[in-house]
Amino acid sequence: MESMNDGIGVDIAFLLLATLAVATGWRVFRTDSMVRASFFLLVSFIAVGVIMILLAAEYLGVAMFFMMAVEMTVMALFMVMFMMNPAGLNPMNMVHQERIAIGAGIAGFLILGAMALLAVFPDQPVPADLEPVRSLGNEMLGDSMLIFESAGLVLLTTMIGVVVLSSHRGRYGAAAEGSMPPGLEPGGDPAGKPEEDEAGEGEHHHHHHHH
Amino acid sequence: MFSELFLPVLMVIFMLVVGGYAVAVLDRLVASALGTPQAGGIWLAPIARGAWLLIQHANATEAPDWRAWRLAPALYLALAAGGLAVVPWSASLVATDLVTSVVLWGSVEALATVVIFLHGWSANSLLALIGGYRYVALGLSYILISMFVLIGVALPAESLQFTQVVASQEGLWNVIRQPLGLPLFLIVGLGMTFWGPLNLADSTDLAGGTASEISGPPRLVWDMARAAMLVAFSGVAATAFLGGGLGPWLPGPLWMSLKMLAVLSVLLLLGRLLPRLAPERCVTLMWVVLLPLSFIDLVWAGIGALL
Repeated sequence: MESMNDGIGVDIAFLLLATLAVATGWRVFRTDSMVRASFFLLVSFIAVGVIMILLAAEYLGVAMFFMMAVEMTVMALFMVMFMMNPAGLNPMNMVHQERIAIGAGIAGFLILGAMALLAVFPDQPVPADLEPVRSLGNEMLGDSMLIFESAGLVLLTTMIGVVVLSSHRGRYGAAAEGSMPPGLEPGGDPAGKPEEDEAGEGEHHHHHHHH
Repeated sequence: MFSELFLPVLMVIFMLVVGGYAVAVLDRLVASALGTPQAGGIWLAPIARGAWLLIQHANATEAPDWRAWRLAPALYLALAAGGLAVVPWSASLVATDLVTSVVLWGSVEALATVVIFLHGWSANSLLALIGGYRYVALGLSYILISMFVLIGVALPAESLQFTQVVASQEGLWNVIRQPLGLPLFLIVGLGMTFWGPLNLADSTDLAGGTASEISGPPRLVWDMARAAMLVAFSGVAATAFLGGGLGPWLPGPLWMSLKMLAVLSVLLLLGRLLPRLAPERCVTLMWVVLLPLSFIDLVWAGIGALL
């Protein structure tokens, strides 16, 4: 907490971190891979997290590190999976709808810049005896407890539901049972089924024909 | 200025170097005690290997992501340094006494997943990539178990600060107060340093996994970083469960070193004794057995904090 007060060091750190956040944020769109883009975004978020620690939001700043680390990893892997780009190492363009994006970017920059310059911000220095973790805990588990707890419960239920829905054993086990590849023509035989299956699973095959 | 900025940095660098060397020596001691002959002297062999790696040629693959590939070992070392920075050696001797140091350690574990994945991904090589993907699939379960276990030790301390966690163990160490905590946390430690039975990212069935394509200085940094992460982990385990620098007669930092050495020895012994798990079985074990056990540990800790 002492370092909050020696101004020049904090100012230098803020400028460096802000530059890092903006520069890596810019690289997200200039790089040519989903994985690189995700992790540039992660670096940008980490820089913002350290700025939050400089602003005495010690819990939120550190929470940013682990939340964004897991989030960006999952995002990178899912994007690679959906993009059919083997491992995300093949070069690909990270931007689309460029004209709209440029327009939206300029508009967003002007609006936020105008707010930063023109708005009157309250001047309330953080009191020296502030306990950020405790006050955040009081906020979340005090007056706003009902909201946070119900949101948490909904999220937990969703997560358990998703795991239950997706956790059938694949490939060698239960999930494949009853799931057939669609036919090449409507109502036709499942595509890509080898012929010798007919001998062993004649009844099953017959059953399928009636649909 | 000097004591505030440079002393903590020097302390962490000292720990990185001494700790990494201690892991290499201890592992050789454990191995020779178990009957595996070790080439060269136990004390000099790690240094000789380091020097040999330093003058070797650094391997290059076809079109790797150079920056990520070269940075990943250094970043893993930096994460180990971040972990060591929040480990308290006594009530006052701690590099960074952050009020959210427990959460910072959680971030180190989460960011380690990113770095290990990047190390495997950026080599542009099949086995390294499989190792990286494997770690991501497993790393998520390590992080969850670690999180619940660490919330457990934060409860009696009523704080997310490691120095407070140590202070809360004045009467009774967490290893006794929450008997499930330390065993679960040790498994997390083997997991996040992919050591011994949980070495699935850099395993021999993948011809070295994420490290299958690196040689020379990058390999030296990667090996050092894994050892340093094991040291950082044992520091956190000793702090969270074994009372940190608490103990009679001896000064705090000495107690802390002894406890860290004890945790390290147990981890290295487990690493040498247990066979490597199959990755699929490991996922099942984590989610079906260990994660519910960590819930029980947390409920146990919660009831203990209420009583």
